[in-house]
Amino acid sequence: MTWIQPTSVDAVVRARAENPEAIIVAGGTFLGILVRAGMLEADDWISLQDVRELTRLQSLGDLSIGAMVRHRRLELDEDVRGIWPGIAAAFRAVASPRVRNVATVGGVLADADYASDPPSMLVASRAVAEIASVRGSRRVPIEELITGHYSTCLEEDELITRVIVPRPQGPAVYRKLRTRSQEDRPSSSVAAVVHQGTVRVVVGAVSDRPHHFADLCATWRPGNEDSAREIGAGYAERIEYIDDNRGSAAYRRRVVAVEVRRALMQVSS
Amino acid sequence: MNLALRVNGRTIHADVEPETMLVDVLREHAGLTGPRVTCGVGLCGTCTVLMDEQPVSACILMAPLAQGTEITTIEGIPEDDAVVRCFDRHHAFQCGFCIPGMVLTGRAMVAEGHAADREEIREGLGGNLCRCGCYLKIIDAIEEAAQ
Ligand SMILES: Cc1cc2nc3c(=O)[nH]c(=O)nc-3n(C[C@H](O)[C@H](O)[C@H](O)COP(=O)(O)OP(=O)(O)OC[C@H]3O[C@@H](n4cnc5c(N)ncnc54)[C@H](O)[C@@H]3O)c2cc1C
Ligand code: FES
Ligand code: FES
Repeated sequence: MTWIQPTSVDAVVRARAENPEAIIVAGGTFLGILVRAGMLEADDWISLQDVRELTRLQSLGDLSIGAMVRHRRLELDEDVRGIWPGIAAAFRAVASPRVRNVATVGGVLADADYASDPPSMLVASRAVAEIASVRGSRRVPIEELITGHYSTCLEEDELITRVIVPRPQGPAVYRKLRTRSQEDRPSSSVAAVVHQGTVRVVVGAVSDRPHHFADLCATWRPGNEDSAREIGAGYAERIEYIDDNRGSAAYRRRVVAVEVRRALMQVSS
Repeated sequence: MNLALRVNGRTIHADVEPETMLVDVLREHAGLTGPRVTCGVGLCGTCTVLMDEQPVSACILMAPLAQGTEITTIEGIPEDDAVVRCFDRHHAFQCGFCIPGMVLTGRAMVAEGHAADREEIREGLGGNLCRCGCYLKIIDAIEEAAQ
């Protein structure tokens, strides 16, 4: 059994290319649960804990978030809170401080659990992931990166290196509906971001991946309650829901209509 | 693998598999039984330790991830600590099982100014469960410690 701690992205992608079976460890919150429960065994681990370049957070133009930036840092960083309040809110909504102190941006995206908070806001914010391998690097919008529950378009040997979020031109709102307890995962996760007069509404945590319906968003009349209600009803109708402990499919269909309407009224004010 | 971890100001050595969780290294190799496992999935907070002053769940933290950090368990907190004294004064416990996690989480909140009012304290404690239901007194204690 091996555990390696490379110190650069280059060294990580080389190690992955040589041994695609090895598992990448970021914060380890998701992996820790699987390993402890005996649901995951591996011979080799590649830990990102010593890769300094992945911990960079830059906010001069667009927001550039290194894959190893922890949720807690995005929640508390002054620039992120001031300029990208929707991003700060979505990361702050995750679990408890104990999880946010450890969980990373790369981890939540690669993991692609349907019941996570950040993906809907990242899609609504037009965020893009930068992905590296020995073959070079490429950029993929988050909505294309996440293809389903626990599935992404990442190749076996690829590494998420950072996430880039454009500077917002308008307000953003994140609404997390919790049905059981404060530190719980979302029963529904609605993000609305306004950009040059148009809105992007994204609904997550209710089906296999986040959903955005541009045609419905295009009908939005800011501040108009009927318009918000129609768009909410449209989202509720089109999504195929998951039944889980946090809510039945029927319950989710009802709350999505309400949550989308409220989010739209909130970004209007 | 051979791990050297900084715990409560000293270095401990343990020869373990990478899959070993930090809480098991602390309990079995360092004799520190303050962190204890209840849920084992990061939800309840009884295994809380501070990693570079920040609370984390030691039950799901693979031990090698703690290399190069300073770990603090309840055993590393002085008895005359302000938060500990406030828990004492408010009798903020019954069986005491959750208390190491509560005290460590409370200390981090107080140290970082995230205990400004009862609502913020409540939110910060969202992931720490007390099966005896001492929440009100625990919040009283942290509120006083923050003043
Ligand atoms: C108790 C608990 C409650 C939670 N509640 C919530 C919640 O309310 N909302 C929410 O959104 N989430 C919640 N989570 C999920 C948590 O946010 C994720 O577990 C976390 O984001 C994963 O990040 P990590 O850095 O710990 O990933 P890891 O566990 O290290 O890795 C996760 C997966 O991603 C892969 N990986 C990691 N980094 C990269 C990379 N850079 N490139 C390619 N692959 C990579 C790993 O190989 C692994 O397969 C909760 C988790 C716990 C333990
Ligand atoms: S035992 Fe670790 S959080 Fe419950
Ligand atoms: S005092 Fe008994 S669990 Fe909290």
